[in-house]
Amino acid sequence: MQENPTAEVVLVDDEEMVITSVRAFLTLETEHNIHGFTSPAEAIKHLEVSPADVIVSDYLMPQINGLQLLAKAKELQPEAARILLTGHADKSSAIQAINEVGLYHYLEKPWDNAQLLLIVNSAIERTMLLRKVQKMVAELDNAHDSLKDIQTRLLKAFL
Amino acid sequence: MDELTPQEEIAQLRAQVREMYKHVAISRLSAGIIHEINSPIASIFSNIEVLEKSLDVVARQLEGTASQKTLRILETMRSLIQVDRLACERISGVIRSLKIHARLEDEGFQDVNLNDLLDDSIRLVNAEYKRRVQIVREYGELPPVECSPQLMSQVFLNILVNAAQAIEGEGTITVRTAIDGEKAHLSIADTGHGMSEDCKKRIFSAGFTTKPVGVGTGLGLTISRKIVEDRHSGSIDFESEVGRGTTFHIRIPAKQNRR
Repeated sequence: MQENPTAEVVLVDDEEMVITSVRAFLTLETEHNIHGFTSPAEAIKHLEVSPADVIVSDYLMPQINGLQLLAKAKELQPEAARILLTGHADKSSAIQAINEVGLYHYLEKPWDNAQLLLIVNSAIERTMLLRKVQKMVAELDNAHDSLKDIQTRLLKAFL
Repeated sequence: MDELTPQEEIAQLRAQVREMYKHVAISRLSAGIIHEINSPIASIFSNIEVLEKSLDVVARQLEGTASQKTLRILETMRSLIQVDRLACERISGVIRSLKIHARLEDEGFQDVNLNDLLDDSIRLVNAEYKRRVQIVREYGELPPVECSPQLMSQVFLNILVNAAQAIEGEGTITVRTAIDGEKAHLSIADTGHGMSEDCKKRIFSAGFTTKPVGVGTGLGLTISRKIVEDRHSGSIDFESEVGRGTTFHIRIPAKQNRR
């Protein structure tokens, strides 16, 4: 597998210690920029202005829960991969999350660091591939437009 | 068993309802506590790993230049990290067991490995009694058994706690599992004080207890029997001898007949 490039990772958990731990681990293992928020509202403000590749969020938080946050994130940045990291192990909420918010992954606390790393990195890879595809489609559209333009001019020249 | 008057029956049902309410209240409380402990423990687990890896990096950089004292400090740090990891594993083991027992929503019948489920209940009982009661496991191979894990863990916990309380001072509880035809056969034997003939006749009746007020409600075995016999089409019985101990036998069919 190719080396993972530097990416923007957003972490949201109302427990500061979870952010500190995950940040320490990802900083040790990767070159990613980690943006941690204990308040979902602050995280949304961040997402409104700064691009993210992956968003990892807790579920149970005051005011805005993890699903609401990830739904908002989907609106703001549809390509960014969404991961729910939750201590609230409940199958029905997991299924709801995957179906409604289009989760990339559902992780339970206590998480396994190796697994977290794997999931975060593959989420980033997916996001970057998605962006690449979008860029190529846009390029293709442009090429198509200019071809059409040339065709029109050619037709005009001959007629 | 003696016939109950309607009044007695109502009193028994009331007591059972109270006991169930209490169980739900305790489960709800435990679920809250589990959730509270989950994040910190996850955080510590992760930190331990990061510290260990960082220590390796530091040790490599100091290679050849570190003094004896520095090397000793590095060694001590490594062993402390190991101790922390073991300590955390123990905490999270108890939390895992508690999680199964405290599950609030009825997840219904599933194919369950009863040996694993017993391990979870034993872990909880050990938390209270391991200083004086040794629990020996003699498990046989069991097929997956179709049952409600949280109801069955309630039964195991009831019988294990009874067994531990029947032992005065030090003693042993032996938990055996085996397959017996189409059924899983579990037995829990204690080296406790055993039961008198009068006790034997009454232990499954609601409200019967030999324990002091506040310790026993006299409903544990009544509810256990309901769970095993009515909900799982199994059987629960026992043999007991004063001064030698008591053995409970639970038999559960591996597959439930669908109604």
